[in-house]
Order: sequence, then structure tokens, then C-alpha cells
Amino acid sequence: MSYYGTDDFSYNSDFNLRIRDIKKGNLDFGWLDNARETVDVRRRDPRRGLTLEDCEVGPYAIENTPEVVRDNRGVAPRGAILAPGSEQPDLGPSLNKKSDVWGYRVQNYWEEAMSRQWNVTTDVPWRDMDKYEIPDELEIAFCQLCTLLSEVEMIATDLPAKWSHHMNSYFQEVKGFIATQAIDEARHAEVFRKRALAGAGLIRASVRGEHALKGILEADSYSEGSVFLHVLGEGFILTLFRSSEYISPTPVEQRMFQLVMQDEARHVSYGLQHLKYLMDNCPEVRPQINGFLDEAERHLTGLFNPDQLESMIVLGGKGTTPECIRHGIAVVGAFQGKQIEEYFHRAERAGLPERRERSPLLELQQRMITALSA
Amino acid sequence: MAIKFPSLEFFQELARRMNANPAAFEKLGFCDTVMGMRVLGKNPHLYSLTFDVFECSDVRELSSPEGAGFDFVLEAPLALWKEMFESIQKTGHPAPAYTLNSLSHVGDRMKVVYDEPEGHDKFYRFMATIQAFVDQAADLDIEWA
Repeated sequence: MSYYGTDDFSYNSDFNLRIRDIKKGNLDFGWLDNARETVDVRRRDPRRGLTLEDCEVGPYAIENTPEVVRDNRGVAPRGAILAPGSEQPDLGPSLNKKSDVWGYRVQNYWEEAMSRQWNVTTDVPWRDMDKYEIPDELEIAFCQLCTLLSEVEMIATDLPAKWSHHMNSYFQEVKGFIATQAIDEARHAEVFRKRALAGAGLIRASVRGEHALKGILEADSYSEGSVFLHVLGEGFILTLFRSSEYISPTPVEQRMFQLVMQDEARHVSYGLQHLKYLMDNCPEVRPQINGFLDEAERHLTGLFNPDQLESMIVLGGKGTTPECIRHGIAVVGAFQGKQIEEYFHRAERAGLPERRERSPLLELQQRMITALSA
Repeated sequence: MAIKFPSLEFFQELARRMNANPAAFEKLGFCDTVMGMRVLGKNPHLYSLTFDVFECSDVRELSSPEGAGFDFVLEAPLALWKEMFESIQKTGHPAPAYTLNSLSHVGDRMKVVYDEPEGHDKFYRFMATIQAFVDQAADLDIEWA
């Protein structure tokens, strides 16, 4: 036990006497005096049920919450009545400023995540795997890809989990959304593991890739972790999932990637809206975020490790003959260019147009183009 | 009775089928986007499809994308749309090279036109629903223009 409370309630005679009294029927109804006027919460669209946006009313609404939350340091939900003075325990949240975590439309992303959940065990047509014959080199290449993606998804599960308890409980919608992200990412790790084990098995773990992933997990602030994971990392992985659907050996893998890309795109959207919110409301952090991204973008190139790159080339070219490899290199080169362009576009719309000038990724892209045209 | 492609009636029929089959689309989850489908050729056509919760609530033909509020527009020549729907009609689902993602990814045979990255990302956020929407053409009797 690392936390001992300030009071041992099992030996507190006042507390025990009061409980005994209540059980005898002597209620004082003090809490009833605090009852609030009821707010008008309605389902604006009955097809959706009761949504978080429907609940954004009166003292419960985020717009009526100050930018910096000073009164609540525990886990009271936004709008609850807090005990006077310092009676409410301090659970030590370190993210108490709205711009530290908030993103435009985060309530909608949480609802969308809950509504679009899927099940690895039953929603991927595993039974169809027997219908298709996959050449050995393609199967092994695909399982190499699944191995790296399992590593990526482990970190993507851990990052939201790592930061959630640091967030002030008044930012419940963000905590809720990143909880859905953690389960999404755990599901992705599950689907890649299952697909690998149903085929050629897990292949080589990635050394450079894991260094890149450590950079995400070790970010100094939630916003840095978010911009690295959601905007940069998941933006790249979203394009990788799109490419993986494109080069999938059979419709089974295609279905798998159609489902994972939906979740990934939602995480990217939240990250973009968090970065935008941060730039709109806390522009003084721009140098810090830029400095962080200068390094994060270098880290990210670790995901292009040789095993990963070769397996994608073999999958893209559908074989290992020189002609297949030439075709595979062209396919992979095209999607890597797309990854970089889409990232710059997102960064620009979130308020960081300078990334295009500052980023080491452009030089990497130029090197790839030169290599391809050589 | 055969339905002409491209035509407003074609997309209205897909919307009617979607709205008549709530179980399949509710399982895929909320889908909220306004997307365009543009058929290029001698007589180009642009259709606007509004997806709202579990339904396709509005289908219309437009003369221009201006003011339509599109999140993204899928743009391809008539011949490619024909190949895609013919592929869907063979087995009920497209062959790997003819999924919406594959067609619009490397090589960009089908273009995804967008202004805002978030609008673009909606194509991927709702991919399973949009693919299921077009797959409903599997047993339509289509008369090609």
C-alpha cells in the first residue's frame, strides 16, 4: 500500500456513530438541500439516443468551465457539488488547463467511437482464409508487416492509458475518448497478432521501430505525445493501413484493414482538433511544439526500418522477382510521398504551416524520389 | 427494371436500400458526412449524398460542387465506375483491386478531392459504411450510359 488516507474510517467513532444512526432511520437529509434545479436535457435526434452533446447544458457544459480548473483536484464529475474548503481529496491531476487536452468536437468522436466498435473474433471473415492460396514469400512478408504493426499498436494503447489519470476529471470527454482509443488500439494489436498466428506467425521485432515508438511514449507533455502519436504517427499509419489494404493478399486482410483504418482516422481527427485547439488558445507553446516535432519527425523515420520496407516492397510488387521488386518500390515510394504530403497538410490546417519548411521529412522524401528515379 | 448509370435514380435506389436495411448499417455505426460522387466523361455528372446517423437522407444531382459542403468527392471516369460496379456484381463484393480504398490510393485511378484534412479523413472514418453502400448495387440491373 503506497497511500494511507488522512483518516481511518473504520476507527473513526464520529463516522461510525453517524452510520449507526442512519441505519436506525435518523436521516438528516442535508444533501437534499443541495439539489439543483433540473436542466433541460433532450435527445435532439432520437436515432442517436442521448448524446454527450445533448448533455452540454447549464453548469454541466464544458463552455461554462473555466480554462484552468482550480477547484477540483479529485475525480468529481463536471457539475457535481464539491465539499467546502479543502475536504475533497487531491488526486494530483497535472493536466488542469483545458488547452492541455481539449479538442474541438471531442464529444462527437467519443460517440462515433462507441457506435463504430467492431469485434476481431467475429467481424473479420477468418473462415475465408482457407479459400485462398498465398505464396510463401507474400505470406511471410505480410506477417512481418503484422509484427511491426503489433508493436506500433502496443504503444498506441499505452500512450492514452498513460495520460488519462493525469487529466482533470472535468475533461471527462477527452478521458472517455482516449479510453476508446486504448481499446481500439488493443483491438488492432489483437487483429494483427491473430492474423500472423493464423498464417506464417510473428516474424522479426523491429529495433529502429521500437526506438521511434519510445519517443512517443516518453513525450514530456500530453500535447507533445498527442501531436506525435495522433497527428504524425497515426497519420502515417493511416496511410500505411490504406496501402496495406491496397496490397493485401486476399479479401480477408482487406476487410481487416478497412476496419482498422476507420479507427485510426478517428484518432487522427481528434489529434488534429487538439492541436488546432492548442494553437488557437495557447499560441505561446508553438516554439515548444515545433522543437518537439523537429525531433519527433527524425524519430519517425525509424519506422521505415529495412525489414518493414522490404516486406512492403514484396507485398506491393506481389513477389520477389526483379520485376516485382521494381514495381513494389514504385508502389511503396508513392505511398510514402503521400504520407508526408498528408501530414504537412494536416499540420498546416492545425496552425503549423512552418512544418513544411522545418521538417527533415522533406529531405527524406527528396532522397526517396531521387533514389526512385535513379 | 433496369436503372441507368449514371443517374439520380441509381443513387436514390442505393439510398432506399440502405434506409430499408437498418440492421446492417446500424451495426457499422454512426456515419455523418456529405460526400460527392463525380462521374467524368462526355456528359459529366455530380451527385451529392448526405449520410446522417444510419441513413442516406438526401441524394441530389448538382451542376457544380460550389456551396455543396462536401467533405470529399470521389471522382472517376465512367469506365472506372462501370468496372467497379461490375466487379461488385460478380460476387457481391468488389475484387481486391476494386474496393473504394484501392481505387483511390496508389495511382489515384479514382481521385479523392477535398479541402479540409478532416473532411478527407471522413472517407476513411466511414469507409466500411460507404463501401457497404456501393456494394448494394450487387443485384441491380444496371443500364450503362
